[in-house]
Amino acid sequence: MTDYVIEANGLAKSYGDFQALKPSSFKVPLGRILGVIGANGAGKTTMLNAVLGLMSYEGDLSVMGNNPSSERGKLMQDVCFIADVATLPKWMKVSEVLDYVEGVHTKFDRAKAMSFLNRTKVPQDRKVRALSKGMTVQLHLAIVMSIDAKLLVLDEPTLGLDIIFRKQFYASLLEEYFDEDRTVIITTHQVEEVEHILSDVMFIRDGEIVLEADMDELTQQFIEVMVTPGKEEEAAKLNPMSKGITFGKTTCIYKNVDRDTLAALGETRRLGLADIFVATMTGEGQ
Amino acid sequence: MNTYIALVKREVLDGKNGYIRVPLILSALTLAMVFLSSVGVGELNLVSDIDHHEVKNIGDALNLAQQEEAADLPAGITAGYWVISLLMWAAFPFVIFFSLLSALYEERRDRSILFWKSMPVDDWQEVAAKLFTIVLVTPVIFFAVAIAAQLVTALLLSIVVLFQGGPVLELWPLGLMISGWFSMFGHYILWALWALPILAWVLFVSAYASRLPIMWALITPLAVIIAEGMFLDTHVFASWLGRQLGGWQEWAFHDLGRGLDIDGPRDALNMVFGAAQWEALKFSLTSMRFWTGLVVAGGFVYGAIELRKRGT
Repeated sequence: MTDYVIEANGLAKSYGDFQALKPSSFKVPLGRILGVIGANGAGKTTMLNAVLGLMSYEGDLSVMGNNPSSERGKLMQDVCFIADVATLPKWMKVSEVLDYVEGVHTKFDRAKAMSFLNRTKVPQDRKVRALSKGMTVQLHLAIVMSIDAKLLVLDEPTLGLDIIFRKQFYASLLEEYFDEDRTVIITTHQVEEVEHILSDVMFIRDGEIVLEADMDELTQQFIEVMVTPGKEEEAAKLNPMSKGITFGKTTCIYKNVDRDTLAALGETRRLGLADIFVATMTGEGQ
Repeated sequence: MNTYIALVKREVLDGKNGYIRVPLILSALTLAMVFLSSVGVGELNLVSDIDHHEVKNIGDALNLAQQEEAADLPAGITAGYWVISLLMWAAFPFVIFFSLLSALYEERRDRSILFWKSMPVDDWQEVAAKLFTIVLVTPVIFFAVAIAAQLVTALLLSIVVLFQGGPVLELWPLGLMISGWFSMFGHYILWALWALPILAWVLFVSAYASRLPIMWALITPLAVIIAEGMFLDTHVFASWLGRQLGGWQEWAFHDLGRGLDIDGPRDALNMVFGAAQWEALKFSLTSMRFWTGLVVAGGFVYGAIELRKRGT
């Protein structure tokens, strides 16, 4: 029995001449929260669609031991996802959506969904069409969190929602859903909001995985130094990934350079994930 | 099994305007007309060859019919009850056509396909459930409404005739009514199997078209007919379409009239409910065209499933 939820070997996808995903190999273990980060059109959704059995692909891909392209129905017993657009059927009433999921999904716990929904203002007798954007997401989240799945994929789940709701969304995901027997994959542009819950990250650029790392290790690797005036030359010798000027002082970002050495150059600080992403995508000294 | 029930229930909910409201409203409309006119029937001189001045209302008419056409009366009444649901059945092909046309199209347009695909239901199950609901569950609902309308009509007329004084029991030819329900449904099944390649074509288009599925569904066969006429000067495709959509009955019943002396509604009804059903079944099962049509239907259904696998 494998402990990997996803095992991809040479996974690729082309549309004609355009390679949306270059051959990629990666493994995602159980009990992780993985952030997949990349610019628009970098290939995040393409990769996730392959994993979810929503499109054909080249290469080997195994998700929970299933072949997603031929066994999507079976796969969805253990995998759940929220796509990057509102997908709940607008013509259905909230209660009818719950009836349907209860009918087709053996791992759906309706009582649990009701307890999630009772904390919201989502009205049961209304059609999905009549719900606000926030309520629709709350409903969808209540459904997926009540399904006892091993893998949950969230593609830009909080797009267009206000900040209070986004905070609640991730809080309940972390507190009430996630455990060591599940893996969650999140893609989002709002990196700052997810970085504290992620255990792993993957950066994608132009259809290529450029970085795959454990969050703790990653944040330790990158250090930003606000260089003390006069030490600029010394700082430049250590090969910074990128250089900038803040408040008239030179700032340098380093990867895998001893923290004590850097401390001698000036004030050091850890980088946030967004800054690491930008540095990795634009930096030269890798 | 649960999955299947949930899928069919969802389809019925999705199409409830066409599947439930249309037959109910049209039947209610007809019933209202029947009731109002039956109460108001005066002298039946409107019908050209009826010239009985003693007939003042439905009750009288029934009395007269009982005296003069006793043998044909039950059949005549049964046939009359089917006429009541004509309006509803006229809408039926449209309901079927538009339901098939939107079955695999709307879910892509509103992106709900991504939600359905997040559930442990295979694409073939989805397509099968849609086809099953539209081709089989919808007519069951229509038949149920038709039967209810017949019973309500009989009840309303009974009340009217009770007041007017007439043979109320003549309004309840139950044996004929019941055998009519079964044979009509059986005939529908046979009709649907013949029409299946065309029904499956519409379903295939709904999975294929990125927009305007109705244009694809109608213009493609039209283009084939025109091209065939222009370049080959033949009408093979058009006659195939006509045959699958009901023209086969002309062939199936080709020999039926011979040797039979059809005189009045009783003989006609006996034939339709009895011999015709067996003739049609026998003809179909031994017809190469019938089986070829089913194979073509299978091809389109397979295509629809494959397209749905790729659709997002």
